[in-house]
Amino acid sequence: MVQMIITGLLCGALLGFVMQRGRFCLTGGFRDMYLTKDNRMFYALLIAIAVQSVGVYTLVALEVIQPNTGTLPLFAIILGSFIFGIGIVLAGGCATGTWYRAGEGLIGSWIALAGYMLMSAIMKTGPLSPLNQNIQQSQLPSNSMADTLGINVWFLIALLLAVVGWIIYKEVTKPKVVIPTLKPKKQGLAHILFEKRWHPFVTAVLVGLIAILAWPLSSSTGRIAGLGITTPSANILQFLTTGDMAFINWGVFLVLGILVGSFVAAKASSEFRFRMPDVKTGLTSFTGGNLMGFGASLAGGCSIGNGLVMTALMTWQGWIALIFMILGTWTAVYFVFIRGRKEKNSNSTVQTSVTTA
Amino acid sequence: MKKVLGVMGMVCPFPLVEAKEAISGLSSGDELVIEFDCTQATETIPRWAAEEGHNVTNYEQVGDAAWTITVQKK
Repeated sequence: MVQMIITGLLCGALLGFVMQRGRFCLTGGFRDMYLTKDNRMFYALLIAIAVQSVGVYTLVALEVIQPNTGTLPLFAIILGSFIFGIGIVLAGGCATGTWYRAGEGLIGSWIALAGYMLMSAIMKTGPLSPLNQNIQQSQLPSNSMADTLGINVWFLIALLLAVVGWIIYKEVTKPKVVIPTLKPKKQGLAHILFEKRWHPFVTAVLVGLIAILAWPLSSSTGRIAGLGITTPSANILQFLTTGDMAFINWGVFLVLGILVGSFVAAKASSEFRFRMPDVKTGLTSFTGGNLMGFGASLAGGCSIGNGLVMTALMTWQGWIALIFMILGTWTAVYFVFIRGRKEKNSNSTVQTSVTTA
Repeated sequence: MKKVLGVMGMVCPFPLVEAKEAISGLSSGDELVIEFDCTQATETIPRWAAEEGHNVTNYEQVGDAAWTITVQKK
């Protein structure tokens, strides 16, 4: 139990810290692929997947861990991931993003988190669990891409590495634009940790390494899995309302650790402040949180569980979920940012004040 | 001319979306002062300005989770 608390909190805190400092936001990443035609954060995710894939399958080869990829509830994954993608746009961050923004003091993210935990618990052990189980019932037998294709999993990993290598080469050889930065007020390590802008690809490698670390740490406490957000988030609420210790596991401390790590990172960088959203944002966040919980429970994972971990395991579940959560994100982006803006612009103008210099 | 865009309290990507809109109404050489508190915008706004070729004449943190950036339209 003590080990579970310490390693869970530690792994979560590392993740929260790195994500806060690296501004590792998958929602923003998926959104900007469509909205601003910027794929950098998606590329960063692919890097994190590749790093984790090599690490995890090395651990499997060394017989440190034996992950079970299970069967494939295809329809539930497609439907759930699409709904999850819509939810993260409304909530202003994916599940992990919402946890770390809560650590930055954004009350809107606390509201989204409440909706997310509530709906996840309702879907897992509450009144919607029969519906959830029904949709998940139609299963395809194999989830492993390597098994279906009848090849060694390392061929798939090599393919991913080749794609990622090519992307990094293209990005690094692009003509550089000088991005204005804040005047440094700190020096040395403090500057790097609490001030400097982190390159998304560096952040991605760190996220991948933490995702590898999660496997042995979690497995040694009996939870044979890597990073996971949705089930542990629901577990917190389930434990708090039933007192049943069976809901307490490594993942619970992982998600709490994200909050702590992000708070430390934000506080030390003078980026922590409690911020209350307006009523409309608050309501949208709550709706988004509920959609996230509904979708992630149905799909058996969020942008981390499916998008980062199941993809690295080279499962159909991971990659199909990733595609459909991106499509869900784009659908919501169309309605919120593209159509929504057109309507707004015809009704009112942006509040600005003009002064002559 | 200098125009002030207050987007404190707006979550990403709204600060950037608003900034893009506001600058489109300015003439070349005009300055847009953007006051924001969304952490992710510390990355996205300067990057956008640099990629669009606008000049950043001022960029500083003014308090806990509060920043100001001045973008001069190219």
